[in-house]
Amino acid sequence: MSKLKISNSFGQQTRREFLATTSAGMAAAAGAAATASMPGAALAAKKKGGTLRFSTRADARGLDPQRNVIYYVSHPLAATSGGLLDIDENMDIVPAIGEEWTVSDDMKTYTFKIRKGVTFHNGADVDAPAIKWNYDRVRDPKTSHSFHRSFFKLVKEITAVDKHTLRIELESPSAVFLASVTYYPVNLIAPNSVGQVDTHPIGCGPFKFVSWKRYAKTEMVRFENFWQTDAAGNSLPYLDAIEGYPKKEDKVRLTALRTGEVDLIENMSYADAANFKKTQTANYNTWDIPQVGAGYLAVQSKKGPFAMDAADGKLMRQALSHAIDKEAIHQAIFNGLSESLNGFFSSSSTWHMPDIKNVKEYDPEKSKAILRKLNAMNTPVAVVARQAYAYMHQTGEIVYSMLEEAGFKVTNEVFDNPVLRKKYKKADYGVDSTANSYRFEPDQWYSVNVLSTGPSTKLRTGYKNEAADKLIVAARQTRDKQVRMEMYTDVESMVNDDCALIYTHGIPLTSAATKKLKDYKPAFAGPFNISNGGVRVAYMDG
Amino acid sequence: MLIYAINRILQIIPVIFILSVLVFGFVHALPGDVIDTLTATDGEEDPEVRAALEEEFGLNKPIYVQYFIWVGSALQGDFGKSLVTRRPVNIELIERIPATVYLALVGIGLSILIAVPLGTLAAVRRNTLTDYSAQISSLAGISIPEFWFAILCILLFALHLGWLPSSGYAPLFEEPGKSVLYLILPALAVGFRQAAFTTRLTRSSMLDEISKDYVDTARSLGLSERKVIYKYTLRNAMIPTITISGLQLAGLLGGTVVLETIFSWPGIGLAIYSAIQLRDFPVIQAGVLVLGIMVVIINLLVDLLYRVLNPRVGLG
Repeated sequence: MSKLKISNSFGQQTRREFLATTSAGMAAAAGAAATASMPGAALAAKKKGGTLRFSTRADARGLDPQRNVIYYVSHPLAATSGGLLDIDENMDIVPAIGEEWTVSDDMKTYTFKIRKGVTFHNGADVDAPAIKWNYDRVRDPKTSHSFHRSFFKLVKEITAVDKHTLRIELESPSAVFLASVTYYPVNLIAPNSVGQVDTHPIGCGPFKFVSWKRYAKTEMVRFENFWQTDAAGNSLPYLDAIEGYPKKEDKVRLTALRTGEVDLIENMSYADAANFKKTQTANYNTWDIPQVGAGYLAVQSKKGPFAMDAADGKLMRQALSHAIDKEAIHQAIFNGLSESLNGFFSSSSTWHMPDIKNVKEYDPEKSKAILRKLNAMNTPVAVVARQAYAYMHQTGEIVYSMLEEAGFKVTNEVFDNPVLRKKYKKADYGVDSTANSYRFEPDQWYSVNVLSTGPSTKLRTGYKNEAADKLIVAARQTRDKQVRMEMYTDVESMVNDDCALIYTHGIPLTSAATKKLKDYKPAFAGPFNISNGGVRVAYMDG
Repeated sequence: MLIYAINRILQIIPVIFILSVLVFGFVHALPGDVIDTLTATDGEEDPEVRAALEEEFGLNKPIYVQYFIWVGSALQGDFGKSLVTRRPVNIELIERIPATVYLALVGIGLSILIAVPLGTLAAVRRNTLTDYSAQISSLAGISIPEFWFAILCILLFALHLGWLPSSGYAPLFEEPGKSVLYLILPALAVGFRQAAFTTRLTRSSMLDEISKDYVDTARSLGLSERKVIYKYTLRNAMIPTITISGLQLAGLLGGTVVLETIFSWPGIGLAIYSAIQLRDFPVIQAGVLVLGIMVVIINLLVDLLYRVLNPRVGLG
């Protein structure tokens, strides 16, 4: 049966297309007529705003953003703070309070032009002297966390040249220093509010602190004088308020979203995420948060059978490496949601390196052969993991059985952080099932965890490779990204060859929100306070 | 009775002193310290930083000096500051006590409301359908893991039926309506499990009492069965039930970490658990001491209640 064809100047339509088009046109006309009859005020664009109720797995440890290391992990409180520079959703460093910067030819002096008119929540100016005061506070061991302080390790002197010019001089050249003044971990607080920083912090982020009841509720309201605007010149953020509700149990957090008690959740359990994404797309948006971190097995190579200086240390580490089945971890722990890795950076990062070599394939027979050859069957290996993160000790349990199968005599124990740290210091473990993230600048990973003089290397693994050390230091002083990428690719190939760190998987994080939350764009590893993304541009519809 | 009460109160003073010594000693015997926690996993340890922090927190003083400083301050109601958040312990911990007490009291009350009638009926109607039902439900209550039952309650009442909020907390005197709604599921989870134990105990106590001579005597004197059971037998059978309920209440005050976590209930158990992980000494010390004192007070009240139920109970 032929379909009715209706000719017009744009071609031909079927009857159904014609009816659809004309219906839409009539609806549009009716809408236009209705709009024309509305009062002038209602004609203006509907104001974006609303209150976002955000549920997180953890709660902040404290309110001082320079003393509390956990502050940045997607906590609502992160929205009260800001750094000199911002990151965007692509993990690129972009201007913020520092609107321009120059780097000297020797890469030892960074000069920042401070944006005029930016204020803290109490009205005090965010100017060069205030930023210098903050950075001096971060550098003081009595007032800051060592993790934050480590970002200023290279700093020699900070000078407020004038009200809107800040100069930072470094002890040695660095092409990567900008990452040390970006967002976290060098958030700014108002110098004249330091007395209340543990009870009512005054920052310069898009939201003002109202109250914090630990493990119960965080309240913040929009900062009306936040410096950033949207493309149309409207002041950001749009949301009127944020309420944070820590709910540690994954299932409860998800239920709270589905019952409408909260609007946005982070860290959906791996078991729930796969099914939720298939069945709930009509009612909820989900995001797989880009990851830059990795799960890995840190091999203790300070002393014992895997030591760097042991005659068969490298072969023994190879035996370990061949015993690890990444696919099994991927399926059993992450429900198929993770990404198998050969280096620290997953494919979500612009620093992902596809050409890393010397990856040891899963082959338990090779492990057994090495152990037999070295007459090292039943070599004891203590697998340890941190209690706070389920995927770490679950991975540890699987690694336990893999190593047993390969011929090691394995113990598997889970500890809280202070005990684990003692074990690191005493080199009283064999393999640590662990992970690391929030290092969007590669130097922050390699200089800390791979460089032989890096604090984590010295504390935990004792890894030493002179060639890798030279490359890491050289990469820090290299401006060209492609060249750095090649250097880091070589470093990772050496790490794989030495089997000192056995990278296993990228750690997936899934967030979900009701469809009422509009324009929300999360950034890597959870931070929801990012330039032109996150909660700065999000709003609640209705 | 008054002399008995005063004597019992005087007895708790040395108990609290010994408790404070034990709490302080155990906390400082924990492996790892707060300085380790504050220096972070990746952090480079600097002896000067460690010395500065130890000086600031008073951890470089002899242990007995630290103890007396702590006790002296605690006697004045000052438990110091959290080493992690730098906020007063009173904010970190003491303000959470009402939430814990609220849940524990309602949970245990619910447990008694379920267990005493059910256990009594099961004993009176021994080997009937009522008895079997009571035994099966109490067996289920004992067998089902607490966290699993809590999650089931959330999925049923919050997600599928939509009757109750899944989790959260509102103070009773600030938002009474909301507070009760938030309380129902955690109280049910607490009450169901505790009732399982208490039902079995009440039943067996009642069976013991029913078989005693005084019950036959009462019946032979022509007293109604109702009066025999509820006025005489149950009263005597309640003594072990009260003992166990008192112990359960004491346990709930410090041991509801799992339920507090699941229901996002801002109680003292979760705060102490978190403080232990961070080795936040002032918070752990204050929390355990306060819980210990509450347990001592509950035991005192239980003892006084014995005396009310059975005046023959002496100082022992």
